[in-house]
Amino acid sequence: MKSHTTRAFIALAIGGVLTLAAFLGAFFWAGVPDFGFVRTAERTDSVRYQGPFDQEIDEARYLANFAGYDVEVVAGGETVRGDLVEADETHVTIETADGEVTVSAAEFETGRVRGSSYGRPDWGQKIFYFHVPVAEISFIVFGFAAFYSIRFIMTRRREYDIKARVSMEVTLMFVTLTMATGILWTKAAWGVWWDWEPRLTTYFIMTLLVVAYFVLRNSVEDEERRAMYAAVFSILGFIDAPISFFITRLIPSNHPVIERGGLEPPMLVSFIVAQIGMIALGYAIYQLRMGEMLLQDRIESAKTQLER
Amino acid sequence: MASSSMRQFRAMLRKDIVMELRTKEMLMSMGLYSLLTMVVYFVALSQAGAGFDPRDIAAGLLWLAFIFTSMLGLNRSLVHEKDQGCLEALLLSPVDRPVIFFAKAIGNLIFLLVVEALTIPVFAFLFLQGQSVDVSTVALIPLVLVAGSVGIAGVGTLLATMSVNTTGKDFVLAMLFIPLMYPLLLGAVTATAAAIIGGPEGMSLFWTGMAWVVGYDVIMLLASYGLYEFIVGA
Repeated sequence: MKSHTTRAFIALAIGGVLTLAAFLGAFFWAGVPDFGFVRTAERTDSVRYQGPFDQEIDEARYLANFAGYDVEVVAGGETVRGDLVEADETHVTIETADGEVTVSAAEFETGRVRGSSYGRPDWGQKIFYFHVPVAEISFIVFGFAAFYSIRFIMTRRREYDIKARVSMEVTLMFVTLTMATGILWTKAAWGVWWDWEPRLTTYFIMTLLVVAYFVLRNSVEDEERRAMYAAVFSILGFIDAPISFFITRLIPSNHPVIERGGLEPPMLVSFIVAQIGMIALGYAIYQLRMGEMLLQDRIESAKTQLER
Repeated sequence: MASSSMRQFRAMLRKDIVMELRTKEMLMSMGLYSLLTMVVYFVALSQAGAGFDPRDIAAGLLWLAFIFTSMLGLNRSLVHEKDQGCLEALLLSPVDRPVIFFAKAIGNLIFLLVVEALTIPVFAFLFLQGQSVDVSTVALIPLVLVAGSVGIAGVGTLLATMSVNTTGKDFVLAMLFIPLMYPLLLGAVTATAAAIIGGPEGMSLFWTGMAWVVGYDVIMLLASYGLYEFIVGA
């Protein structure tokens, strides 16, 4: 029987190597895609996301992120094509073959990003190899927390409470990473830091539920009661996880979805290796915390024995 | 067996209602709180300008008032039970735990519906005067109110039973309640807004919202019903 620390370091080594390998694969092996694997969602009130090289825009200000790109703008019934100089809430300026043309936002009907005139690769997509595995694992670890909570309610053994709590800590970490990387990506791809979009909203709610779990734990003094309340709340809160996971497939959403068979082999391999590596890293953190919790337990019991 | 459960349920519900009719504490505090919310709304909307159509946000404002009012009421209803030792006495008596849950939840549901029924006319009087609404669809709003309040009262009773035993009662209830209520609120606001707007498109949106609310009610009430036993006994 290996100790928690040994297991943690083995998992850390495996996870570290695999994650590093995945990132090397992602950057030097997998190509920069043209977003062919992204399913698009029809939405009229915001950006319609089709990847940066063929993106339909329905509000002038959303063009702001594409300065220097080759754009096509329909305004006042006329089509203007050229390099985008600047765009904001009031106007769009485009450099055409005949000189600069300024279109006011009021006249703006639709715009389309045709591509980058200087061929800038879409490096923003590379966050896919970090953001997606981390997000998936946050759902999985939340599931473990709910599972251990159910086990706790069934057996009332303290061990399961500790396991549920540590799983929830790992969930909090992965959820935070997902939110941070997601926010960076939405700024790069959609031009906004945040959008009240179904996936983002449900995931934000999930973050709040994980935070609420710890708020609840910290405000109950009695130990058995705390364990029971936390277990019940994590089961109730877990109902949001499948909703958040499947919502992009159920209702129109801007958030990209991977389609079956949609990834090129180099991308797919890097992605799967990244997933396994992240699972190993999550497991390592879990084991490290478990070891710490058990040590704390031993110190507590040693203290009570000394006091006697 | 079933009839004795029914009797216990009725006795507990009667106790809650009689106590409320004597003190009128919950209804008074919830009613006044929702009235105060209306004042805050007026201040918030005072700079909205002439082109602003209050019908667009009426549904959201109403449910905002309901959610905060209900948190106040839920907290009160369980604080009474705990401070006066009533919950302990109930737990000592040979009553099935689910019966306690249903009695408390139905009691909360009744008070919540009373406050909602009082709030809506006040809200309409203050903010929707002179606005034309489709009476045939607005008549469907009570459906949303009942479906939404069932979810609020059911899950709220469970969470309030937890939060009365914590150190930061009100804050903990809000922290647990609002994220868990999100799907229900979204559905309820959608359905209410659709009923106010009306028309055939509004009707299809209304039933979508209702489906969300009812689906949420079924899942969350089953979960709350199953888990209440462990909370109240802990």
